[in-house]
Amino acid sequence: MRWRRFFRRASRDTELAKDIESYLDAETEEQIARGVSIDVARERARRKFGNATLIREEVYRMNRPQFLEMSHYKFAFRTLARHRTAYLSVAAVLALGIGMSVAMFTLVDAVLLHPLPFPAQQSIEVIWKTDPTSGNYVEEMAYPELRDLQDNIQDFESVAVMPTSLYGYGKVLQVGTSDPVEIESAPVSHDFFRVLGVSPMIGRDFQSSDEGVGAAPVVIISNRVWREQLRGNPNIAGEMIRLNGVGHTVIGVMAEGVEFPRGAGLWVPLGIEERVIQRRGATFLQAIARLKPGRSRDSVFPQLNALLKRLASEYPEVYSKSQRPVITPLVEYWTGSARIHLWIMLGASVLLLLAAAISSGNLLLSHTLSRRTELATRLAFGATGGQIMKQLFAEGVIIAGIAAAAGLAISGLAIRTLVRWAPADIPRLPEAVLNFRGFCLAAATAALAAVACSIVPAWSTVRTNLERALREGGRSSVSRTGRRMRSGFVLVQAAVTVMLLVIAMLLVLSYRSMMSADIGFGNRDALSMNLPLRGPGVFSAQTFNPASRRAFYSDLLKRLRESTGVTSAAGVLLRPLEGTIGWDVTYQFEVDPNQNNALPKANYEVVTAGYFDTVGTSILEGRDFGDQDSATGERVTIVSRTLGDVIRKAGRDPLGTRVRLGLGGWARVIGVCADGRYRSVTQRGADIFVPATQAAAPTNYVVIRGTRPTAELAALVRDTLKKIDSNQAISGVATIGELIDSNAARHRFNMRLLLWFGICALMLSAAGVYGVIAESTAERQREIAIRNALGAQKPRLIREIIAGTLALVLVGEAVGVGCVLTLSRAVSEVLYAVSARDPVVLGCVGLFLLATSTIASFWPAWIAAGRDPRNALSE
Amino acid sequence: MLQGTLDMLILKTLLVGPAHGHAIAHAIERCSSEILQVEHGSLYPALYRLEDRGWIAPFWGTSENNRKAKFYRLTPPGRKQLAIETTRWERLVIGISRVMRPAAQEP
Repeated sequence: MRWRRFFRRASRDTELAKDIESYLDAETEEQIARGVSIDVARERARRKFGNATLIREEVYRMNRPQFLEMSHYKFAFRTLARHRTAYLSVAAVLALGIGMSVAMFTLVDAVLLHPLPFPAQQSIEVIWKTDPTSGNYVEEMAYPELRDLQDNIQDFESVAVMPTSLYGYGKVLQVGTSDPVEIESAPVSHDFFRVLGVSPMIGRDFQSSDEGVGAAPVVIISNRVWREQLRGNPNIAGEMIRLNGVGHTVIGVMAEGVEFPRGAGLWVPLGIEERVIQRRGATFLQAIARLKPGRSRDSVFPQLNALLKRLASEYPEVYSKSQRPVITPLVEYWTGSARIHLWIMLGASVLLLLAAAISSGNLLLSHTLSRRTELATRLAFGATGGQIMKQLFAEGVIIAGIAAAAGLAISGLAIRTLVRWAPADIPRLPEAVLNFRGFCLAAATAALAAVACSIVPAWSTVRTNLERALREGGRSSVSRTGRRMRSGFVLVQAAVTVMLLVIAMLLVLSYRSMMSADIGFGNRDALSMNLPLRGPGVFSAQTFNPASRRAFYSDLLKRLRESTGVTSAAGVLLRPLEGTIGWDVTYQFEVDPNQNNALPKANYEVVTAGYFDTVGTSILEGRDFGDQDSATGERVTIVSRTLGDVIRKAGRDPLGTRVRLGLGGWARVIGVCADGRYRSVTQRGADIFVPATQAAAPTNYVVIRGTRPTAELAALVRDTLKKIDSNQAISGVATIGELIDSNAARHRFNMRLLLWFGICALMLSAAGVYGVIAESTAERQREIAIRNALGAQKPRLIREIIAGTLALVLVGEAVGVGCVLTLSRAVSEVLYAVSARDPVVLGCVGLFLLATSTIASFWPAWIAAGRDPRNALSE
Repeated sequence: MLQGTLDMLILKTLLVGPAHGHAIAHAIERCSSEILQVEHGSLYPALYRLEDRGWIAPFWGTSENNRKAKFYRLTPPGRKQLAIETTRWERLVIGISRVMRPAAQEP
């Protein structure tokens, strides 16, 4: 109704004008009938009617919603232009807060809330087994169990199996004459993409005939591989490509963004070998299933549990009775440990937004209070309280609009910076872009801020005593509400700043101790690279037998060592800091058997001679492996210092003591080396090394060190490799230093971000304190001038001006420290070697903020106290 | 003029039949024996308000001296509203006169 009137207001006005005209005509005729001249008659009619224009305006205004009154906005623009500096600083502060929180929201939205490009992804579950009695968190599955799941679980719409880890399934792709490249690939059962709910953009999906012994080798390639390696050839479907030296028919190209499991560039059928399809003992898989609509995890769990129970009684030799299913939502499985970090960051950015809102509210409140004379004058001339409120609201809307626009620009920049800073292992982070949801958030925040910034000060102004405000010329003491609110603002802001700064400092300290920790690898310049030897088949590494693999490696290493500029070269099963993967072994010493019970699992490594020299792990006792440790010689091993100490505690010399790995044979300890942190720079552990000549496990990595630049060393390895076997490729070339850096990347990201947030909060809080003091000295100008004239000491005057505010800052700091202590448990999740309750950090941050606040408040106080009283009083 | 009474007077005037603005103004003046002097222009916003509330409906017609004029007629809701306002008004008058009369009779 109202809006129809709004849009018809022009035509209604014309109508009204006609109506008024007809009134005037009628009245004029009536007057003429009474015998007056036509001019006089017209004049009398007009007088009788009253002011026609005013009446038209009144009706016109009735046809329009009140908040759209343009006059308010025009006036607001004029006011803003007059008080440019004050309002622009408010907008800048607000824009900073909006920008940072929108950026963080966008990242969290991309990574946590919408992590995968799969339709209805909340009904996709990843399934494996766990066995509490054996202590294995992940009991892997075997291919025959896929059939069990398909036949017995009614709630699955579709189900597929894939390896628990992508490690070791990489395939070497060779196109034309270019260098062969190693590409992450995933062997999957044929329903895999149906479970995910995606299909190829070119070609076809896998079908059941692609699996089975003797099926023609086919492959589906990812969009990225298609673009980067095959030049986006649109007729690729049906073409042959060489993978690990075997021709595969490309049957499809996956849609953009589907690189699941993480980083996969190729997918091949899984069930193509007898030993995979038939053997229940070949466990290396997990299941992924899409639930039927309306079915939940809770309804599937009992069915799975019952199935496992039945299988355990049918195949007692394969399955233990204590196995339980584990069902994890795909989204959680995928984002994993990135979750807590991003939530902490989101929390921090919300705190920053809060600080910005408080700061801008404070500035605006101070400013509105200083405009009290103007507002009081307008009230005295008959403006209603409502009109003043609307007026201030219009100003708030304009400020918030500017802040939202600037905030969006800032967030665009911030997102790009954050994505570049971010560690590479946060999935999908690079795809984060400012989207509609982020925009809505910015708009909503801005709207809230507009209301908070305008209505609150307006309310406190309108309510104050009009007459007193006018008489005292705006220099009167502020209304009590206004003062109390500003005090509250200062307090909350100090608390927020302390929280952000303390967490940032703790992160900096833990990063420092992380970087200075002795992680056991002294040669940061040693170059390492992945070289798994590949052949056809699912377990492509098995094309080589231990002997041929050993021969391949020793040939390669020999050639490398003989090249100019190479100091040392070696092979290793798994290089340091390759992620959380690795082989854990149980072991026992040849000592009192009771002491073997509480031993932690050790990291198992297979190395060639010269490995310790190359990566810079010092041998503390005994010797390195050498030529004498041949395949037929005595079994030997090197243990790391932690294990050496365990043996010594049992009253034996580590050297010469015998160790038994798992259920294998006994080996004699010939050396003790320094502890190396193989899994992560923050994770201590024990290591056991076995010479490559005596191990069944392969060496998969080459480490090399020399006097030449790393790029030349990598090229040297590539060339040497080509001479031996052109079907092999190296990947993941990185120095030990780079591995350490990327391992600490997530921590560095947290640290930088929180440091940045902390500095922003510090600036905001300094601005807030400055605003409060500046405004209060302006209000107390006369009082200060009189005291000055009466001979007050300047230092004492300054102290009195700033003491109250600084006391508030102190109280706020106490509150902030209290919050940090309450949250210390959550915070310590992301810390390393630093206590979240470190009193030195808490104290330093508190002092620092106090010092900053003192400087920020001292400046305006000093100016006010130094003014000539004559000037101040005559104003 | 008392707040809100103008609306009631307009509705009352239209009870006898449709009329245009000029006629309504004169009718109010005439019927009140010229006691109620309305600035005729102020009638128009009131007419628009009543129209928006749906109590009167406008139509264009020809006035007695052959001019096009906007006529208003009472709608059924308007009729109901008039009854409500009349009752309220009568109660108010009774109430006020009960207060005023004893004081007037005293001397």
